[in-house]
Amino acid sequence: MSTSIDLLSFSPPPSSMLSRTQFSFTHKPTFLLSSKKESFFTLRASAADNGAGVSAPAVTVEEPKVREASEGPTESNGAVEAPEVKAVNKFEDPKWVNGTWDLKQFQKNGQTDWDAVIDAEARRRKWLENSPESSSNDDPVIFDTSIVPWWAWIKRFHLPEAELLNGRAAMIGFFMAYLVDSLTGVGLVDQMSNFFCKTLLFVAVVGVLLIRKNEDIETLKKLLEETTFYDKQWQATWQDETTSGAKKE
Amino acid sequence: MASMALKSFTGLRQSPQEQQHPHFIAQALPRQQKFRVSAAKTSPKLTNRNLRVAVIGGGPAGGAAAETLAKNGVETFLIERKLDNCKPCGGAIPLCMVGEFDLPLDIIDRKVTKMKMISPSNVAVDIGQTLKPHEYIGMVRREVLDAYLRERAEKNGASVINGLFMKMDLPRNFEQPYVLYYTEYDGTKGGVGEKRTLEVDAVIGADGANSRVAKSINAGDYDYAIAFQERVKIPDEKMVYYENLAEMYVGDDVSPDFYGWVFPKCDHVAVGTGTVTHKGDIKKFQLATRNRAKDKILGGKIIRVEAHPIPEHPRPRRLSGRVALVGDAAGYVTKCSGEGIYFAAKSGRMCAEAIIEGSENGTRMIDEGDLRKYLEKWDKTYWPTYKVLDVLQKVFYRSNPAREAFVEMCADEYVQKMTFDSYLYKKVVPGNPLEDLKLAVNTIGSLVRANALRREMDKLTI
Repeated sequence: MSTSIDLLSFSPPPSSMLSRTQFSFTHKPTFLLSSKKESFFTLRASAADNGAGVSAPAVTVEEPKVREASEGPTESNGAVEAPEVKAVNKFEDPKWVNGTWDLKQFQKNGQTDWDAVIDAEARRRKWLENSPESSSNDDPVIFDTSIVPWWAWIKRFHLPEAELLNGRAAMIGFFMAYLVDSLTGVGLVDQMSNFFCKTLLFVAVVGVLLIRKNEDIETLKKLLEETTFYDKQWQATWQDETTSGAKKE
Repeated sequence: MASMALKSFTGLRQSPQEQQHPHFIAQALPRQQKFRVSAAKTSPKLTNRNLRVAVIGGGPAGGAAAETLAKNGVETFLIERKLDNCKPCGGAIPLCMVGEFDLPLDIIDRKVTKMKMISPSNVAVDIGQTLKPHEYIGMVRREVLDAYLRERAEKNGASVINGLFMKMDLPRNFEQPYVLYYTEYDGTKGGVGEKRTLEVDAVIGADGANSRVAKSINAGDYDYAIAFQERVKIPDEKMVYYENLAEMYVGDDVSPDFYGWVFPKCDHVAVGTGTVTHKGDIKKFQLATRNRAKDKILGGKIIRVEAHPIPEHPRPRRLSGRVALVGDAAGYVTKCSGEGIYFAAKSGRMCAEAIIEGSENGTRMIDEGDLRKYLEKWDKTYWPTYKVLDVLQKVFYRSNPAREAFVEMCADEYVQKMTFDSYLYKKVVPGNPLEDLKLAVNTIGSLVRANALRREMDKLTI
């Protein structure tokens, strides 16, 4: 296996590697470019290649500055850091100053445009997800999303969905009230004061809150199983006690 | 919450009997006679000898167990296959371990008092401001710690055998001993070793994640994570930054269900990561971890590469007959933080204490019931800790938004205080209810914000 060769080239005492019968690394061919050099650089270069390949066609508002990396002197086997063989795009934005968003640049009509801040942060996170960067001590990231006030989040994310759900609920509710009235003659006020109807209403509200898409049912079932799975694993040792003899408490 | 959990355990054990309650006398009695239910007080006193117990594995669990056994009059054999083994390990021990196990302070290479949590978008949060001056996380070298505990066991009367445990014959009835087959090494390098046997009354399996003792008693399998670590020697000026600081990197790039770390060791740092679900991609994750720490480990040389499985949960069976598992062999590694050294040593000690008690300092034979007492005590004492960490892992390691929320929460002082208090002293302490409520609200807020951002991110195409 090619992995073993690479690993051995790193660690002088080969006996330090544990037997690999327990687990196997399925080595992806992309990591070993075409070069046969069993050095750290092949891995490094291919990783950077993947990173650069993803970020290159970026179409964003700001122009990412491409940092040219010079070919450094070759280091001995096992050196951690390579002078980058390929250029790496770092996240840069005129409004991103000193590791946080400069709120003064987000002014609209004399007030901070929180929607734009949220957009900018989403873009930054997306960028970093695609090409993760080194976290450096020189320019630390200190942005905290709680700086955006609670009403901005509600206005942007909660309200549209709430409007949708309430609209649907109102339409269905009106239709159901009419249907029940025509079938049983019970008017709206009497329907609401009936205990059975109140229960149904409660179930409907809870259901709408928890289940918004069909997939949510499966998600909820899995979540429920998850909450007790660990407990079951711990209690497994007590299950077989009846076979080995009952013990009094 | 602890009392609820307690109830569930005791309920579990009594339920089969409760169902048979009306017929209890009729049905249970013949079974009792067959299976020897009585407690140790009625078991036969050993004549001419003390109880013989073999501890397989000489790590923290084995060393602690052997020391307690030997100190209290039990004839102890500690079988370890490699006396100078450098077990690949993060090497962090909580403060309470130093006190509880009387560890000399020179075993500790470094006292970590600051930690940095780094989110997927590189938001970095410093934690540790709430630590008092005498509180720290100790970083040790496993070979030093293990050797110290083993030597202490030997000083107390245990026989340390350098050998590899092969298999064991289970006794056919109560009087018969366990017969262990092992290969003894005489210390010469490359020696093939001699096959030997050893008869003992009880066995403690402390032989780690790939336990052979566990296999011998059909303890069952567990899910495990692969932890992969590279020891990197970085230039001195960069080492200053890691003087007493450890870093944790979270993110999908670093690990889908665990975290990447940079831990300072004696004169170098250990950079590593782990995963349960995507073991095949571990090299990719390791590269990503190195990339995230790139600026801080620039110019370093990799001096060692190591990997090891880490159990994710206890084995289905942790004891059978007079054989009990402790430490990694039993699967006592916490979720979320992956901590195992303290729990290994503590479980070894607890198991040994149960044996001492059941055998009245080695004078009587023990039975499975005495070893069950150790399991009971263990589950009762540490179940809340394990459960809380499991919940934390399930909530905060799910996805990148959850990790962002996690790092945001860690910036809160109350969170830091609670986290460190429970980590350093291994007690889940209920805090101030008002603060807990605030914490809950803030957590939900963070999670909601991060997930909302995630939805925005999904709309973007960069």
